Amino acid sequence: MSLTPDLRRAAGPLAAILGLALALTIVQVSGLAFWQGLLINLGIFLILVVSLNLSNGFTGVFSLGHVGFMALGAYGSALLTLPLREKHDYLPKLPAWLAGLHFDFHLGAFPLGFLAATIVAAVVVSLVALLVGLVLMRLSGHFVAVATLGFLVIVRVVLINADDLTRGSRTFSNVTAYTDLGWVWAWALVTLYVVWRIKRSQFGRAMFAQREDRWAAQSIGIALMPPRLLAFVVGAFFTAVAGSLYAHFITSFSPNAFYFDLTFRVITMLVVGGMGSVSGSVIGAVLVIGLAEALRRIEDVTLLYGLSQIILAVIFILIIIFRREGLLGQREIALDRLFMKGGEAE
Amino acid sequence: MKRTLFAFVVIASLVLAACGGGGGGGATGPIKIGGGFALTGDESALDLPAANGAKLAAKEINAAGGVLGRQIDLIVHDIQYKMDVTAQVAKQFVEHDKVVAVIGFTDTDSVLAAGPTIQKAGLPFITAGATSPKIPTQVGDMMFLACFGDNVQAAAGAEYSFKNFGKNAYLLWDKGVEYTTLLGGYFKSRFTELGGTLVLEDSYDDKATDFSAQIAKVKALPQQPDFYYIAAMPYNIGPVVKQFRDAGLNGPIVGGDGYDTPDLVSVAGPASANVFFTTHALIDATGGTEGIKKFIAAYNKEYGHDPENAFAALGYDTMYLMADAIKRAGSTDAAAVKKALEETNKYPGITGSITLTAQSHVPQKGVTIIAVKDQKFTLGAEVVPDKVPAP
Repeated sequence: MSLTPDLRRAAGPLAAILGLALALTIVQVSGLAFWQGLLINLGIFLILVVSLNLSNGFTGVFSLGHVGFMALGAYGSALLTLPLREKHDYLPKLPAWLAGLHFDFHLGAFPLGFLAATIVAAVVVSLVALLVGLVLMRLSGHFVAVATLGFLVIVRVVLINADDLTRGSRTFSNVTAYTDLGWVWAWALVTLYVVWRIKRSQFGRAMFAQREDRWAAQSIGIALMPPRLLAFVVGAFFTAVAGSLYAHFITSFSPNAFYFDLTFRVITMLVVGGMGSVSGSVIGAVLVIGLAEALRRIEDVTLLYGLSQIILAVIFILIIIFRREGLLGQREIALDRLFMKGGEAE
Repeated sequence: MKRTLFAFVVIASLVLAACGGGGGGGATGPIKIGGGFALTGDESALDLPAANGAKLAAKEINAAGGVLGRQIDLIVHDIQYKMDVTAQVAKQFVEHDKVVAVIGFTDTDSVLAAGPTIQKAGLPFITAGATSPKIPTQVGDMMFLACFGDNVQAAAGAEYSFKNFGKNAYLLWDKGVEYTTLLGGYFKSRFTELGGTLVLEDSYDDKATDFSAQIAKVKALPQQPDFYYIAAMPYNIGPVVKQFRDAGLNGPIVGGDGYDTPDLVSVAGPASANVFFTTHALIDATGGTEGIKKFIAAYNKEYGHDPENAFAALGYDTMYLMADAIKRAGSTDAAAVKKALEETNKYPGITGSITLTAQSHVPQKGVTIIAVKDQKFTLGAEVVPDKVPAP
C-alpha cells in the first residue's frame, strides 16, 4: 500500500471506530434490549473508568470521590430534562426558574435538549470540581483518598437533605429514557479521545512526571497543581456525563445508587486494567462487566447466588498480588501504530 | 497481550455459552413467570425469604396440577440490589426467558428500576413487598402490589398508638431511605390529624450505629413523650432499640414492617420488650392463623427452618395471586391477566384478604400489629385503619 504515514496513522483508530459502529448498529437493529442494555452499561462504566484514570492513574492522586460527581451529573441533568408535569408532581417546592425549565428542544428527531442538559450539568459539576480540587489537590497519598471519600459522603448528605431539589432519599423517578447505544458510545469515544490526547500532551507528561517523583518534577519547573487540577476537573466533567447517561437510562435513582458500591466497582475495573493506561481502562471495564455477566448466568444454573462477587473478589486479589500494576500497567495498545511500518513511529 | 486476548476469548465464550438455552414459551409447555429478588446485597434479609416463599408456592401449585393444566416455571434471577443489574434482569425476563408475568422485589428502588422495561413489554407485574403506594402511578397500569401501602400501615400504627399509648409522640426516621421517609411522613400526617402532638421530630443517617445524639435530645425534652415512633430499616432496628433502652428510655417503641426481622430480638435481647410494629402477618407456629400455620409447616419441610419473617409469606401470596389471576383469565394473555388481577375480590392470602380494582392497584388489606413480649413476636391486634393518608 502506498498510503501516506498520516493516513496510515489514522487507519487504525478509524478501523476500530468502524468496527464498533458496525457492531453497535447490528445490536441496535436487532432490537434486543438486553444486549443493548449490556453495551450501554459497558459504555457508561467505560467513561467512568477512563475519566477516573485521569486523576487516579495519570496523576497518582487517588480519588475515591468521583462517584459524587456522577451523582451530581445525574441529578443535575435529570432536573433539566424532567417533564413539567412530573416536576410539578414530584418536586412541588422547586424554585420558580427551575420549575418552569424543560430541556425538551429537538432538532428533527434528535433530542438536542438531552445533549444540552448533559453539557450544562457536566460544566456545573466541573466548576464544583474546580473548587473542591483547589483544596483537595494539595494533598497527596492516603490523605487525598480520605478527603475525596469525605467529598462523596458530603455529596450524599447534601442530596438527601436538599429535599426540594432531589426528593431527598426518596427515589427520583420518571426521568425520560433518552440514553441509547448511540449516545453512550458517542460520549465514550469523545472521552477516550480527550483522555488519550491529554496523555500524549505536555499536560499528560507533567501528570506522569509529578506522579513518579514530585521533587524531580518540581526541580525542573513542573508545578504540581495545574496538571493535577486539570486531571481532576476533566475527569469530573466526563464522570458527570456518565451520570447523566445513567440517569436517562435507568430512569430512576436515589442517592444510595451513587455510593461505596459503585465507587469500588469502578476502582476494581481501573486497577484490573492498569492505572495510567487508557486501553487498560477499556479492557478492565470489558473484563469485569463481561465476567460479572457470565458469572451471573452461572449462578442461575448452579443456584450458588453470590458466587460472582466471590470470584470477582478473588480475581481482584490475584491481580493485586501477581500483577500489581494491572493487566496493562501503563502500556497502551496503540491503535494508530496498527497499520504503520516499523521505524515509522513518531 | 496474548494473555489478555486469551482472557477475552474465554469470557466471550462463557457469555455465549451461558446465553444458549432460552426459547420456548407460547401456549403449551410450562407457564414462565419471572421472579426478581435481591438474593445478595443489603436487601437480602427480606428478599431471600420472599424468594423462598414464592418458590414454595410454585412447587405447591405444580404438585396440585399446575394452572390451566400447565406447570409453573418460576425463573429466579438475583438482582444483587444493584440498579443497573436490576434493569438488565428485567430485560432478561422479557427477551431471553420470555416470561408471561413478573413477580418479586421488596423495595421501591428495585421496582422502579425494573418497572419501565416490564411495563413497556406489557407484562403484569406484582411486587411482593415494595410498600410505597405511589408505585403504580410511577410505573404504569401493569403494576400491582401484593402488600398494603406504607400509608395504610403508618395510619394503623398511628391509630393504635393514639388509642393505647397517648397523644404525645416522638418521631424518629432514617432519612437515607425512601421507605422510612415515607413511613414517618404518613405517621405524622395521620397522628396529627387524630389530634396527637409530636413533641420532637428527629432523623438519623442510614446505617448509623450510634444514636446517642438523638437520645440526648429526647432526654433533654421538658416533657417525655408517651411513646416513640421510629421508622427504621431492618439492619438498624436492633441497635436503635437496644440503645434507647440502655439510656433508660423504656416507653413503647412503635414502627413498621422494617422491624420484622429476627435481628430485632437477637440484637436487642431483653431490651426488645414493649416494642410494637405493623406488618403483614404474624409468622408464628402457635399464635398465627390457620393459613400461616400450614405455611410455616410447609416452609420448614422445604427449607429446614421456619420462615424468617413476613416477607416469606408475602412472596408465597404473590405467587399464588398471580397463578390465581392466570387461572381466572383462562390464558396467559397479558391483558386478560391484568383484567383478572383488577377483578381480584377478597382473595384469601395468608397475609390477609386481597382486593384489587382498576382504580387501586394497591390492595386494601388488614394490618397485623405485633407486640414483642419475652423476646417473642406475639399478636397485638389485627386492624384496618379508619382513615388513610393520601399516597
